[in-house]
Amino acid sequence: MLRRTFLMLTTSLAMACAASQANAACSPDYSGVTLTVASQTGPYIASALKLGADEWSKKTCGKVNVVEFPWSELYPKIATSLTASDATFDLVSFAPAWLPDFVPYLSEMPKEMQSGKDWDDIEPAYRERLMVWEGKIYSQSMDGDVHTYTYRTDLFSDPKEKDAFKAKYGYDLVPPKTWKQYLDIAEFFQRPDKGLWGTAEAFRRGGQQFWFFFSHAAAYTNNPNYPGAMFFDPETMDAQINNPGWVKGLEEYIRASKLGPPNALNFSFGEVNAAVAGGQVAESIGWGDTGVIAADPKQSKISGKVGSAILPGSDEIWNAKTKKWDKFEKILPTPFMAFGGWQIAVPKAGKNQKAAWDFVKTLTSPEVSGQAAITGGSGVNPYRKSHTANLQLWSKNFSPEEAKEYLGAQADSINAKNVALDMRLPGYFSYTEVVEIELGKALAGQTTPQAALDTVAKEWNRLTDEFGRAKQLAAYRAAMGLPPKN
Amino acid sequence: MMRNDPIKHVFIWPAVLVVLAISIFPLIYSFTTSFLSYRLIPPIPPRVVWFGNYTTLLQEPRFWNAILTTTLIAFIAVGLQYMIGFGVALALNARVPGERLFRVALLLPMLLAPVAVALVARMIFNPTMGPLNQFLSMFGLANLPFLTNGHWALGCIIAVEIWQWTPFVILMMLAGLQTLPEDVYEAAELENASAWQQFWGITFPMMLPISAAVVFIRLIESYKIMDTVFVMTGGGPGVDTETLTLFAYQEGFKKFNLGYTSALSFLFLIAITIIGVTYLALLRPHLEKRR
Repeated sequence: MLRRTFLMLTTSLAMACAASQANAACSPDYSGVTLTVASQTGPYIASALKLGADEWSKKTCGKVNVVEFPWSELYPKIATSLTASDATFDLVSFAPAWLPDFVPYLSEMPKEMQSGKDWDDIEPAYRERLMVWEGKIYSQSMDGDVHTYTYRTDLFSDPKEKDAFKAKYGYDLVPPKTWKQYLDIAEFFQRPDKGLWGTAEAFRRGGQQFWFFFSHAAAYTNNPNYPGAMFFDPETMDAQINNPGWVKGLEEYIRASKLGPPNALNFSFGEVNAAVAGGQVAESIGWGDTGVIAADPKQSKISGKVGSAILPGSDEIWNAKTKKWDKFEKILPTPFMAFGGWQIAVPKAGKNQKAAWDFVKTLTSPEVSGQAAITGGSGVNPYRKSHTANLQLWSKNFSPEEAKEYLGAQADSINAKNVALDMRLPGYFSYTEVVEIELGKALAGQTTPQAALDTVAKEWNRLTDEFGRAKQLAAYRAAMGLPPKN
Repeated sequence: MMRNDPIKHVFIWPAVLVVLAISIFPLIYSFTTSFLSYRLIPPIPPRVVWFGNYTTLLQEPRFWNAILTTTLIAFIAVGLQYMIGFGVALALNARVPGERLFRVALLLPMLLAPVAVALVARMIFNPTMGPLNQFLSMFGLANLPFLTNGHWALGCIIAVEIWQWTPFVILMMLAGLQTLPEDVYEAAELENASAWQQFWGITFPMMLPISAAVVFIRLIESYKIMDTVFVMTGGGPGVDTETLTLFAYQEGFKKFNLGYTSALSFLFLIAITIIGVTYLALLRPHLEKRR
């Protein structure tokens, strides 16, 4: 009997020790917890979430289930779940522009996450502007998004091409400083008979199209003399999208559509990347993914020949206050923080909020996010200082010269003095839907750029009145980093 | 049990009430919402606007464009489905060699989910990577803007609708053809009536009731088209291929404009009812002749 009791005691002790050892491996211990994250269809972003999920599972013994929805379905799926206050998702990944719509249903980031080395490592453009709504932080950037310029260095450094270009246009073939130069370069390399086209941009409705148009227009409308007036007048909330700066931007965007591969009108960002990596185009604009994919020998035909630069700018910018063009001494680069980078947040209705924020911490840590940033197709672009400071990290894909240009373009864009912020407003989809429709008509030649933008401006003003002009004005000023209007 | 035994009410009324609650309540709720300005995002408290949503919609060019697009798709697709379907059913009814294999093969498209069909079609019509344009380029033809030009895109959607739903017409028409009495045809043969005369004098008139039903079902179904358009073009370019249901979806689930969407749904219901009633009224004299 004594022997039997001793045996049982020993067994129990051994089991307890094993359990405590297993728990010790889980820090903090979230074994038994399964988090559900809403994401767009992979590989973009979903694969980065899975990478973070693997790391978090190893660390905490919890599980993460990434539920993917097509881009065009993500907003309605998240919005329906949030407004119904159900606990379908423990975390939601979304565009910063949707934050104003989602804020009433999101939990605030724990204070302890808002300080420390990892916190300070986030670029100020994200930490102090995009992640903030009315002074509070409801979401964490998990991606940095700014449009940059990508080009083929083999074409740009070819002496024959350089001479021919100079003879035709009267200036050197280098990355463009203005949008006029950008179109000249596209026109110069437009050689369909040789399978080479000028440029690739997204033009398809529902294919991230309007951000490319905004990038063109930012150069002519984001005036430092009247900050925050790119989309709306920050004093009156009158739509600015039909002013001469925007019209010029649209005219150039339409011109670019004619200097791309056949049926470029059906291009979304995915097709843009395919065209660049396939060596079909001489130049392109878009998010940082383009450079990473084009440099990856497994995915690209132009690996080792990828150049990057900040977006072209302008020395003339429309002033929405004086209703005149302001002339600047030098060309002012105006990179556009298109989309602004994916955000991740924890709904108030979530049942595992503590675990969910802990997952965010792991996912966005310099180590995990750094790995995601250098992985082609992850959809994660640099948003931490450490991402662009560590050249060594990028040597996996890029040659030293490519890495230097790529990281330089990213850092210069995010930190540019006249960087243009994307629009963030309640009812964002209502505002952008009409832009997409009218862009489609203008690109198809069914309407003029001015008429298309007049229609958009009329609808924007109507929406603003419907949603409440004062409320929208306050939100717009907050989104543009302007103080509240008295 | 007596017919007028009051106990029958105990059995009937709960069922009637449940059915009413399930089917009528959403309609009443939706009808009430159509008189409100009611948005979930950004959250705006409901406000009574009476017929405001209806008048805005009726003045909205996008609404009329959606009506026109849907009508075009429905009438062209159903017209062609009927003609092709009837033709194929006649061939199958004539017991051509390998008829059984054809019958199974021709029914396959109907068994597929419209989303899957639309995805396949989107790949086939892809302007740069699609096999159709690659095939055409083998003959030196230029790439055709299948999904990037409004007219072409509409044509592609109609083609997919025809491909997917003609089997339904074949199935119904074949079932109808197999019930026709053979002695009428034997009599026609004795009178030396040609195949063409037999078709117009016997087959077509006798098949009219089932034809009317098949076209009616397909017409109503075609007016509700959404998945195919959503996947193939998303309503674009611009709003060139936007149908009524897709328009309602955009307003309801993208902009969460509930009042406006409810009004749109009721206008849609009215439009479908008018089309259905007109169709049946036009056919009634011909159908009554058959009785």
